[in-house]
Amino acid sequence: MRLVLETRSQTPPALALGAPLLAVALTLVSAVLIFAALGQDPWRALQVYFIAPVSDSWGLQEVAVKATPLVLISVGLSLCYRSNNWNIGAEGQFLVGAMAGGWLALATHGAPNGPWLMPAMLAAGAAGGALFALIPAVLRTRFGANEILTSLMLVYVAELLLDWLVRGPWRDPQGFNMPVTVSFEPEAIVPLLLEGGRLNVGTPIALLVVVLAAVLVGRTLKGVEIRLVGEAPRAARFAGFDTNRLTLTVFAISGGLAGLAGVLEAAGTVKMLQPGLSPGYGFTAIIVAFLGRLNPVGCLVAGVFLAITFIGGENAQIMLRMPLDATRVIQGLLLFYVLACDTLLLYRPRLVASTPA
Amino acid sequence: MTLTRRLLLGSAGALAGAALPGSQADAQSRLSVGVVLIGPVGDFGWSHMHDQGRRRMAEVLGDRVAATTVESVAPPDFDRVVTQLVRTGHRLIFTTSFSYFAPTQRIAPQHPGVFFENATGPTMLPNMAIYNARFYEGRYIQGVIAARKSRTKTIGYVATFPVPEVIHAINTVMRGAWSVDPAMKVRVVWVNAWSNPAREADAARALIDQGCDVLCSHTDGPAPLQLANERGIFGFGQASDMTRFAPRAHLTSSVNNWGDYYAERAQAVIAGTWQPKDTWGGLGSGMFRMAPWTNMTPEEVSEAERIRDAIASGRLHPFEGPIVRQDGTAVIPAGQRLDDNQIRAQNYFYQGIDASIPG
Amino acid sequence: MMLLEAIILTVITASTPLLIAALGELVVEKSGVLNLGVEGMMIMGAACGIAAAIFTGSSAAGVLAAILAGMAMAALFGALTLGLAANQVAAGLALAIFGLGLSGMVGAGFVGAQRAGIGKIEVPLLSDIPLLGPVLFNQDPFVYASFALVFLVARFLNRTKAGLVLRACGENHAAAHALGYPVLRIRFLAVLFGGACAGLAGAYMSLVLTPFWSSGMTGGRGWIALAIVVFASWLPGRAAVGAYLFGGITILQLHAQGAGLRVPPQLMSALPYLITIVVLVLIMRLRRGGAAGPASLGVPFVPDR
Repeated sequence: MRLVLETRSQTPPALALGAPLLAVALTLVSAVLIFAALGQDPWRALQVYFIAPVSDSWGLQEVAVKATPLVLISVGLSLCYRSNNWNIGAEGQFLVGAMAGGWLALATHGAPNGPWLMPAMLAAGAAGGALFALIPAVLRTRFGANEILTSLMLVYVAELLLDWLVRGPWRDPQGFNMPVTVSFEPEAIVPLLLEGGRLNVGTPIALLVVVLAAVLVGRTLKGVEIRLVGEAPRAARFAGFDTNRLTLTVFAISGGLAGLAGVLEAAGTVKMLQPGLSPGYGFTAIIVAFLGRLNPVGCLVAGVFLAITFIGGENAQIMLRMPLDATRVIQGLLLFYVLACDTLLLYRPRLVASTPA
Repeated sequence: MTLTRRLLLGSAGALAGAALPGSQADAQSRLSVGVVLIGPVGDFGWSHMHDQGRRRMAEVLGDRVAATTVESVAPPDFDRVVTQLVRTGHRLIFTTSFSYFAPTQRIAPQHPGVFFENATGPTMLPNMAIYNARFYEGRYIQGVIAARKSRTKTIGYVATFPVPEVIHAINTVMRGAWSVDPAMKVRVVWVNAWSNPAREADAARALIDQGCDVLCSHTDGPAPLQLANERGIFGFGQASDMTRFAPRAHLTSSVNNWGDYYAERAQAVIAGTWQPKDTWGGLGSGMFRMAPWTNMTPEEVSEAERIRDAIASGRLHPFEGPIVRQDGTAVIPAGQRLDDNQIRAQNYFYQGIDASIPG
Repeated sequence: MMLLEAIILTVITASTPLLIAALGELVVEKSGVLNLGVEGMMIMGAACGIAAAIFTGSSAAGVLAAILAGMAMAALFGALTLGLAANQVAAGLALAIFGLGLSGMVGAGFVGAQRAGIGKIEVPLLSDIPLLGPVLFNQDPFVYASFALVFLVARFLNRTKAGLVLRACGENHAAAHALGYPVLRIRFLAVLFGGACAGLAGAYMSLVLTPFWSSGMTGGRGWIALAIVVFASWLPGRAAVGAYLFGGITILQLHAQGAGLRVPPQLMSALPYLITIVVLVLIMRLRRGGAAGPASLGVPFVPDR
């Protein structure tokens, strides 16, 4: 007996809903087994992990806060990946965006500023991220240097640049030489949407970006170009599309969105610049992009889903005193199940009697 | 004041209880203590020792406390983790990194019924204390021992990040070494990580290859010390007793002990006597100690012990003038001492240190 | 001369885990599979290696356990991406998260445990040659293994029929399938080989370089190994160049710091990354066009029966 996959001509609608549900069901079964093996009450553990994060307004706000950067970055990355441009340096673009926007906040610190500051910071963050993303894009289009390598290497460079800035020129003079900038002034902090929580303007911006990207991909010539270059590069060239220019465009868009996410994080949740500004959002967003099938709305769903698993992991540490590593294992398993069940949408698995090849 | 606190706490406990069946009993019968860590418990360094401190506190106080550790919390996640700790009834929260100083200062006023303690932070609030250990006192002793052991008159220092804690530690090694032999030099390599064992080992190799024959390290693990052992020179352990990692090279370790402080502070919350205070515990406080002296002659041991006791009793102060900067300008003349704020704010190296500080 | 020799020795030990992991991933990618989970397999190798070595008291058992752990992780990845045609990029990244967590659980009981490292093997006579002797003939077994791997992988890919078939799977899986080759089975074996190499690289870190366990001790070297495969344009010899270049700059900047060079340490730490980019660009300029990756890289293959 062996397993073979048969390509489906079309996905039955019931399955489109059923596959994710099956993934969740499988995850729950395994999670119960793991929790039991770790000596936890499985039902309480499930409740803490998956229900508690979304059971009240505060929890929902936190899910949105955690999902916002993931969604923003992954939407941009999905445009890249669709057109076969392998930007895996979103983490660095995120940090450069935070630095570019943060620079404005620091430059105006203690000086007269006004309501123009926040939009200017967001624009600077997006521009910074876009410019930083253009480095690997140009290196590829001009010299043919592989963008996987260059964009990844630049992540470390961005981390070290931030480290140098906050320990050197941008250090808070009153900060006892700690590696932090001053705390941003109120005008330089992303406005909250609701009192008493952390939900800020960044979340509606991310939603807007999802809508815009969906329109771009589905309804515009640019969207056709992106898809065609990804799926049939030769046909795209015959159709007269300039693949080099497209590379620059999608890198700039994805870098810009990552930079926007960076400045929103710096000016929204952290309210200053410091090392460790990102818990790996730029890398996690790659998973989000693929879980969302490189589709903007899919990225939104996947981003929220991953945010819940991160917060569930924190909850498990706090309420069940489970180690972080156990929560990572569960998160990894969860992703495996989701990916495996995704297969059902495209293929029909079938067990056949093994025949010698 | 106490009454309002009780009231607040009661409602927080009830909230947690409502959200999570089963936690109510916890929240009411014993004190829940949260420990927020910047790295993983398994780093065998800074975060590991704070987690050991949590264990020690639980041993001392037994059923009266229930402690929770949250590992590898990045700054953007900090507010949520702390809020969740508060919501689940934790009334005493240790935030164990300078990265958490500003966020703790921001969030503490939002939870007036909860007591916060930030490790290595510089200032306090009505419900936020700060604590740290004067690890530099141990570094002074390391400097003295290193100067006795070194043939090449060069000490190697595997440094992490240029934060004040690390800078004044390097300076005190230098002062200790000078007190024995003013010809001593210190070479520094920054690895730009708190924990990256292989890179620490590479840095140690580079220092040894450049003629250093005693290694100090500020990173979390025993990698530089192991290298010293392999290459037949000497080294010091950091954070815990690392004798077993380098039986031939280990001279002494600076062993962190947060547990007794944690137990004392938790006890203060239980007794209702908690006050914000600035604790910067030295060798006399028990916040850290020097591990057994090994690979040292009896004379060296007695000298080290004499200096240790002199520092612990306050007779010897590692930052006594004259102190001269790397560029030759005087910091303080003879007869003066640096005060605590001056010690904390050092962003310059002393003469004899062959390295630069960024910025 | 002494200093030069010392620097070269350090460069080799620092580069060896990168090289071993990169060679494994190179074979995987040549077969048309992109496994981004090298870091996860490597850290599992490190954890299982030291755990087994302490448990059994045998270094050989540790190395074996590390290889098996890497292969087990790779098998998981293979089952998902080859058996179920799941997305390779996402599965690889998930494997990295999973491995980091699982290694922490495996290693939890061994935090602070200590054992002696694996020693060097001196080749008689040859190791007495000045400079070259100590560098090439007085090393630990992993370094010899890495030298051999470069040679064997290059030979396998270019000079054997099996290597040709593997490359055919990576270039055009439909054609390879049409010719009757079991594409999925070949890819699965390649993925297992990649896991074994990553596990071995992890064992090098926890058994030789720094013989103890600490959470996340591979410190991102799995990602660098991935970059080296790209740098090498999928050529084993150039993977060695890339690994030694990266390791070399890393060590030289540490030496420059130790010598008191007054440059921000952040800039020094950034040098290996920056110089790797610059060298790649120079190589690409010298021979325009350059080698592209295997044509079917990352594309799932589902055979029509």
